[in-house]
Amino acid sequence: MSAVIDASGLGKAYRRTWALRDCALAIPEGRVVGLVGPNGAGKTTLLRLAAGLLAPTRGTITVLGERPAAGPAQLARVGFVAQNTPVYARMTVTDHLRLGAWLNPGWDGELARQRIGQLGLDPKQRAGSLSGGQRAQLALTLALAKRPELLILDEPVASLDPLARREFLQGLMEAVAEHGLSIVLSSHLVADLERVCDYLVVLVASRVRVAGQVSALLASHYRLSGPRRDPGSLPAGQHVITESHTDKQSNLLVRTDEPILDPAWNVKPVSLEDLVLAYMSRAGDETPTLRQQLGVVS
Amino acid sequence: MIRLSLLQFRAQAITAATALAAFAILLAATGPHLASLYAASGINGCQPASCEHLASNWLSQLYSAGTYWVLYLLGIVIILLAPAIIGLFWGAPLIARELEDGTSSLAWSQSITRTRWLAVKLTLTGLAAMAVTEGLSLMQAWWATPIGRAVGHGGGGTNLAMGRFSSLVFATHGITPLGYAAFGFTLGVTAGALIQRAVPAMAITLAIFAAVQIAMPLWIRPDLFAARHTVIPVSSLHNISLQQGGLNGSSFTLGTGDLPGQPGAWLLSSEAVNPAGQATSTTPTACTVHLDGNNTPGFLDCLDSHGIREAVSYQPASRYWAFQWTETAIYLALALVMAGYCFRRLSRRLS
Repeated sequence: MSAVIDASGLGKAYRRTWALRDCALAIPEGRVVGLVGPNGAGKTTLLRLAAGLLAPTRGTITVLGERPAAGPAQLARVGFVAQNTPVYARMTVTDHLRLGAWLNPGWDGELARQRIGQLGLDPKQRAGSLSGGQRAQLALTLALAKRPELLILDEPVASLDPLARREFLQGLMEAVAEHGLSIVLSSHLVADLERVCDYLVVLVASRVRVAGQVSALLASHYRLSGPRRDPGSLPAGQHVITESHTDKQSNLLVRTDEPILDPAWNVKPVSLEDLVLAYMSRAGDETPTLRQQLGVVS
Repeated sequence: MIRLSLLQFRAQAITAATALAAFAILLAATGPHLASLYAASGINGCQPASCEHLASNWLSQLYSAGTYWVLYLLGIVIILLAPAIIGLFWGAPLIARELEDGTSSLAWSQSITRTRWLAVKLTLTGLAAMAVTEGLSLMQAWWATPIGRAVGHGGGGTNLAMGRFSSLVFATHGITPLGYAAFGFTLGVTAGALIQRAVPAMAITLAIFAAVQIAMPLWIRPDLFAARHTVIPVSSLHNISLQQGGLNGSSFTLGTGDLPGQPGAWLLSSEAVNPAGQATSTTPTACTVHLDGNNTPGFLDCLDSHGIREAVSYQPASRYWAFQWTETAIYLALALVMAGYCFRRLSRRLS
């Protein structure tokens, strides 16, 4: 497996508080990876470390095999769109495209102009007067026209209305189809990720709770309901992710690579949202080792 | 990166150019008249004996007329403030505003290292800061040439008659404005990198810049080179300040405003000393008869006859450029150290 982002023991502290601690992660190449987790899980810190905007306090991270922001060549291979998609308010759309052309040797001016045309942005308009959706599209255009191998987006749609959100993600998917780049995007809304991602990483309190291909994750998790029983009596291959019990009934969310054979269970598939919520709400102490998980599913 | 810096610097450049142009117009409109007043004063081609008198007269007229004195002072104040204003509005926001607006994430994820980004920004804006300040200084120097000449001829007696070593003139002429501009600008950038918010960084920049600019002439500049000391007869003094006090005029203090034979020297201190060379303020009893206030020459002669002389420490006029270069070098060195810190901080720690 070739990893676009590879981190081990990664930690970042601001003064005395750890924003990210002891994080291990390997994100495979050629996928659209959704990084999901509750607020404060360390998503933004992780992505900024990957973009080289932060330096790790502990541990290591490599992006496309190099230290992030190691030099102009490494920077050229990675596109980054920060949270709230910042642009220079006083510069026009055209100025931003110039900025891209001046600072990036691999700049695809044709792509940039085409995208701006399709979006219907006025090239003379100052970026400060663009709507949130337009601004996000401008930032995405800058990152795409740089022609990176890896595009990192930190909550790119968080501040957009549903329509702008759909358009943004659509533009992203078109770019993926056309240029075949790897993408990592974070969100705390699973619904957004479901539409675009084929790989999922759930990050809670700096730890990767689960990571894998979306299809494989969906195929290996089940919601079981049946007469009340002790989860400890399940077959060895079935791992309980969450459980809830009433007097008579047990509801479990389990992960297993084998079929559920016990006829007492009413077996239902899980949605991606259920799966993510299950992993986010699970107690942290029994996190399976991450490398093993990645090895299993990818 | 150079082109981007120029593009982003456009608004500031226009403001600076406008300010320079306004200053130039003001000086160009009044300078020729000032020069013609000087030409009419007869100081040019004066007989050595009358030069000082003519120059003093002309400066006094200029001072009482008001207009040119105000313009002179205005020019000086503008040159003094320029580095502070540049530090506030060009320096402090350079990094801090990028961080505040989040645009640093955009700038620093292009295919260019942060080191290069900062190097280009610092160099271009820093050079512009120095050019603007020195430009103001040169224009003012041209305008004030007649005043400088009159002072050079020994003209004195008014606030206009400031020598080259006086704090206001020294700090606004020669090459010191270059050093101040580089220092003020880099100070702003560094404060912005440290505090990461533009407005507090501006406040800190102003406070530190003002403190340094006050400390420099008061406590640092006089000691840049070891002062010279001389002891001269009190009767040879021209421009004295004499205070008599105590019971029946039993004490006095005697200072001097210039040093005979050392025109343009920077006087650091002066005091009366007794024949043993010790500072004294005790009026010899025989001299108390000259206390009617109008008989200063008689009093001085009496001090003279009792062996009391004036001890003066000074910096000779020939050291002017040594002072200029040294002070400018100090400010440039401070600017370089702060710039180095910014590079370190940017490449290692900043978000």
